[in-house]
Parts: sequence; structure tokens; C-alpha cells
Amino acid sequence: MNNTLVDVKNVTKDYRAGKVIVHALRGLDLAIHEGDFMSIVGPSGSGKTTLLNLVGALDTATSGEVSVFGNDLSTMGRRRRADLRLKSLGFVFQAYNLIPVLTARENVEFVLELQGVGSERRDIAFSTLDDLGMGDLADRQPNELSGGQQQRVAVARAVASRPRLVLADEPTANLDSENAEALLQMMRHLRDEQAMTFVFSTHDPLVVSYASRVVTLRDGRVVSDELKDPTSDAHEAGN
Amino acid sequence: MVSRSTLRIAWRNLGRNRKRTILALSAIAVGQLAFLSVAALMRGFGEQYLDSITGPMVGHIQIHAPRWRDDRSIDVTLRHVSATIAEVLQDPDVERASPRIYAPALAALEVEGFMSVVVGIDPAAESHPRGLVPGEHLSGQLGEHRVLVGAALAQKQTIEPGMEIAIVGQDVDGSIANDLFTVSGVIPSAIDIVHSQGIVMSLEDAQELFLMPDQAHEIVIHLSNPDRIGDVVARLSSLPLLRDAEVLPWQEILPQFVSILKLMEGYIFVVLFIVFLAAAAGIANTMLMSTFERTHEFGMLLSLGCGPGRLSRIIATEALLLGLAGVSIGTALGVGLVALTSGSGIDYAALGGSASSYEAAFAGITMSSHTFPKTYVSDVAVGVIAVLLTSLLSVTWPVLHIVRLEPMEAMRS
Ligand SMILES: Nc1ncnc2c1ncn2[C@@H]1O[C@H](COP(=O)(O)OP(=O)(O)O)[C@@H](O)[C@H]1O
Ligand SMILES: [Mg+2]
Repeated sequence: MNNTLVDVKNVTKDYRAGKVIVHALRGLDLAIHEGDFMSIVGPSGSGKTTLLNLVGALDTATSGEVSVFGNDLSTMGRRRRADLRLKSLGFVFQAYNLIPVLTARENVEFVLELQGVGSERRDIAFSTLDDLGMGDLADRQPNELSGGQQQRVAVARAVASRPRLVLADEPTANLDSENAEALLQMMRHLRDEQAMTFVFSTHDPLVVSYASRVVTLRDGRVVSDELKDPTSDAHEAGN
Repeated sequence: MVSRSTLRIAWRNLGRNRKRTILALSAIAVGQLAFLSVAALMRGFGEQYLDSITGPMVGHIQIHAPRWRDDRSIDVTLRHVSATIAEVLQDPDVERASPRIYAPALAALEVEGFMSVVVGIDPAAESHPRGLVPGEHLSGQLGEHRVLVGAALAQKQTIEPGMEIAIVGQDVDGSIANDLFTVSGVIPSAIDIVHSQGIVMSLEDAQELFLMPDQAHEIVIHLSNPDRIGDVVARLSSLPLLRDAEVLPWQEILPQFVSILKLMEGYIFVVLFIVFLAAAAGIANTMLMSTFERTHEFGMLLSLGCGPGRLSRIIATEALLLGLAGVSIGTALGVGLVALTSGSGIDYAALGGSASSYEAAFAGITMSSHTFPKTYVSDVAVGVIAVLLTSLLSVTWPVLHIVRLEPMEAMRS
């Protein structure tokens, strides 16, 4: 239906742990389309993190092809992959992923600076935080924020430069359900308003209910890939 | 270039573990304090040395007839002394030129004689504070067959002002020279030969006694700026009147003092090295701990696409800030301490537990145990640069660690 942003073709990923080889992904195929709000679910150890790391150009596949925005990652060196991550992808990690000595605004600003945004980055950082309901707390350091607030700052940092694709590995794992819902609603809102594409992994059925597409992994393979009608989502009413 | 955010992150990280930062700061500050104190003492001592050397006795430059220095033979003299001095004083860098005569002689109060050295000087030229007879009260007591006797000699031979003294020597022709003089005063002197053997008289009296009209053995020259010694030596050597004379800088006359000064300078740098080895250990330890503690944070930033160069710059900036802060505190303390002690000076003898200060004669020059420490801007600069270089060097290991980090592995830690 849409543009394909990411194409994962018959990918395997082996990890060597001592003498044991772990087959984390075993011939996985997946296409991520523009506008997806995709949830990747599956039991622990099924390969969710491994898949997100490959798509996020943080790691390379053992075999198969991963192409992101038309770039075959296997042909890209460390530097170019870092550049791709910085300029075109947004990341939200589980927890504790802000620079502790910088305020919320400075955290967002720092990444904008790395991305080469000029003096307007200060305003962009603030307005992004403000959009996520963090305007009043923009000058606090992470240790003065709750876990949910910290994750909102992390989302703000990931989306401030409007990347086409945002990857989030269990972004709500350390949040209570109220905060988890709030975070999901925010990401959902950004996807609707800014035409960004989100892919997140989760265990949480509540989180899954926000997704427009749910991909289930088991033993390193996709076992189901369902499209849901976002408008039929019960939680939308409360948004 | 270091961006403002790099600076901000580095600065705030130093505040993250205050105790550790303060410890490292103290190590650096104490290092700089120790270095500046030792350097100031050495410099003070060195200046005092130099002052004693180039002061009354040796001057900055000396002129002699060639070979006079070999055995100080009385008949090896400089001629046309007045004309030479007049010409030497024409040189813009020359402040004073003092002619001198040195002659061993037998002296006697009554029957029994004793050995002495007659020192003939120009009272007017030696009346300045660093001359042989500083002040009018001394220089005014010379001339018209009046002499000043070295204090130690006077004490040993119980010579008192007002006494008559007979001097018997050999003139330049080898004949007996003798005359009667009146002791006008007793003169303590930093110059050993004057202090313990000297009978000081005016140049005219000495020239007359030893039959050496318009002659002298030595012309001692003081410059307004000792840094110009080399240039002045070159200029004076080319004067026609001095074509046959030797014109020597003090360094060539007393080479052993040059080595002593070099040795002291060497000692300063040995202290510098030891002290900054300790400081380096302090900074390196702090930076290493701070880097390893932040492996997760660095992994996160690398995952976002931040380059390892930026992370290394943050660490290096942190080390530099730490070094800069520590060395500033150390410099303030060091300069302050030196300023406190530079007025009254420090007595090595008292430091060593001795009740009174002492003086020691070396190569004919008396040194005091009392020293006035002195801060040299160049020493402060050397200390600051040493600390900053040390800081930068101490991040080598942390930077190697950062460059080898794999983003995802680092994040798992
Ligand atoms: N760095 C690694 N070294 C060795 N094995 C790993 C590594 N990362 C993941 N694995 C293994 O790969 C499999 C998939 O892991 P992962 O992608 O983290 O699953 P999930 O995120 O779904 O829990 C698991 O068996 C895990 O133990
Ligand atoms: Mg996982």
C-alpha cells in the first residue's frame, strides 16, 4: 500500500557465545512501510531486539539482506552506519538513556547539535518537549524526573529532527500502565501528525492494542503479521 | 574545536563525583604548589648567588692584561687605565667600570709582620651599594695614605682605626716598595680575600706604592642589563685600547658557578617531573574511573550515531578542565606562599634546626643561608603547561577504551 522503508530479506543472525552458536534469527522476512505503527511481539529470546538492532544499523546480519531507505546495510562501513543512525533514524531505548548531567532540553539539543542543526535547535528542542507535555520540566535533569517523564524526553530526543523511522525496543518496560499508555498515545499522535513511522518491540498486551500492525516472532522467525484498523482502536476515543 | 555542549557536559561531569574530583584537584594543586615553592627557593638562591658573584667581586665583565690571571703577577698590568675607563664608559650598556690593583704585601704594626693583600681601588667608582666600599662612610675613608682593613684580618691582628701600619712589598720593577699608612677603618666584606687579608687603599696610593702610574690589574665592569653581557664583551674587545687585553664575561671567569646554576635549574626540573608524575597518576585514575563508569552512557550515545571522536573530546575536555582548575589553585597557593615569604626571606639554617644563620665562603665569595624566594613567570608557565600536557596524556587510555567500544555491547553494561 505504501512506500517500503525497510526491507528485511531472509536474514539470519548468529551469535557466538563461547563455543555455542546461538541462532537468534533464522531466515526472517519483513517489510516496514511508511506510516506503520508496528508492534513486534514474541516471547523473550525470540529475536525482537536482534531484529531492531539490524534494522537500526547497530549490527550486521550473518546472512540475508537488510536495506534501510534503499541502502544495503551490509555494504556500509561503521562510519556510514553511524551517520545513517544519526541523520535518519530515531531510537528510544528501555530506560536510563539520557545524559545524566544535561537537562531535558539540553539532552534533546545535544542530539540535534550532533545532527548538524544550527542555532534554532534550542527552540526545536523546547517545542518538541512542549508538544510531549514536558515544557514545564524542560530544565530538569534526568534524576529530577520520573521514569515516565524520562522516557518522554527520550521520545522527544528521538523525534526532534523528524526522522522517517523511529525504533523503540521495549520503551515501556520500566513504566506502569498509565505512563505506558501515555507514551504510546504520544507516539501514536506523532505518527498521525508528522507522518513518522514507528516500530517498537513489547511484551505488553496494552501496548500492542495501540499498534496498526502486529508482527509476532518465535524462534527467530515471523509467525504472524496482522494489520489492524487503527480507527477501531478502543483507546483512540480517550485520546 | 570544543563546542559549548562538550564543555558543558565535561564541566558538569566533574561535579558528578565531587569527592573524586576534589581529590584529583588537590593532587594537582599540591603538585603545582610544591613545584612553585621549590622553584622559587632555587631561583631566590640562584639570584643571590649571581648577585654575590657579579656584585662587588667579579662584576659582569672583567678586563685584564693577558696571562695576569695565571699567577696574578704584579707586573702584568693594564696600561692607560684612565683613558680605557673613559672609553669603556662610553658604551651605552656599561653602568660602571672600576679599576683595581691586587698586590700581596707584608704588613706590620710594630715589629712583627703578617701577610696581606693590598687592594687598590677607585673610591668613587666603588662607593655604590654593590661596590667594594659601599657608601660615603667607607669610600670617604680612603686616599691620602689612609687604608681600610678587612674585618677578619683586623680581628686577628687586633688592628684598630687610628693605628699606623707599614706595608712592604715589591714594585713592578722588582724593587722593594714600602710606605706608612693610617688605618681609617675596618671593613667587613662578602669578598673573602678582602675580609680576611685585605688592606684597601685608593688606586692612586697603590699606583704610587708599586710604581705603576696609570696602570691597574683589573677593570671590573657592571652592566645596566646583565642579559647584554655577550654583546658588550664583543664591543669592548674591538676597542683599539683593549686590542691586547682580555675581555671576559663572568661565566668564563667562574665557570664553576655556571655549573652550579645549571645544576639548580636541573634540580627544579627533576622536582617538576616527580611532582607531575604524581599529578598524572591522579588525573589518569580519575579519568579512567569516570570513563568506565560511563560505558553505558557512551554506548547509548554511540548507538544514536554520535562519533567516538566527540566522546573522546568530552573526556579530554574534562581532563583539561580538571588540570586547569587544579593548576590554577596550585598557582594561587604557590604564588601566595612565595609572596608571603619573599619579604622576610627564608633561613636555611633555621630550617635545618640551627639557631643562627650561617655564611659560607666558596671560591672567594661569601654566601648567606638566608634566601629570598622568587616567583618566575616562566616557572609558572612551565608548571601550567606541564599540567595541561599531563592532563591530555592521561586520557590516552580512556580514549583507547572509547574508540574500541561497540555501541550495543557498551549499552548492555
Ligand atoms: N550478544 C549476544 N550474544 C549471544 N547471544 C545473544 C546476544 N544477543 C542476543 N542473544 C541471544 O539471541 C537470542 C535472541 O535474543 P534477543 O534478540 O535479545 O531476543 P528478545 O529481544 O526477543 O528477548 C536469545 O537466545 C539471546 O540469548
Ligand atoms: Mg529484547
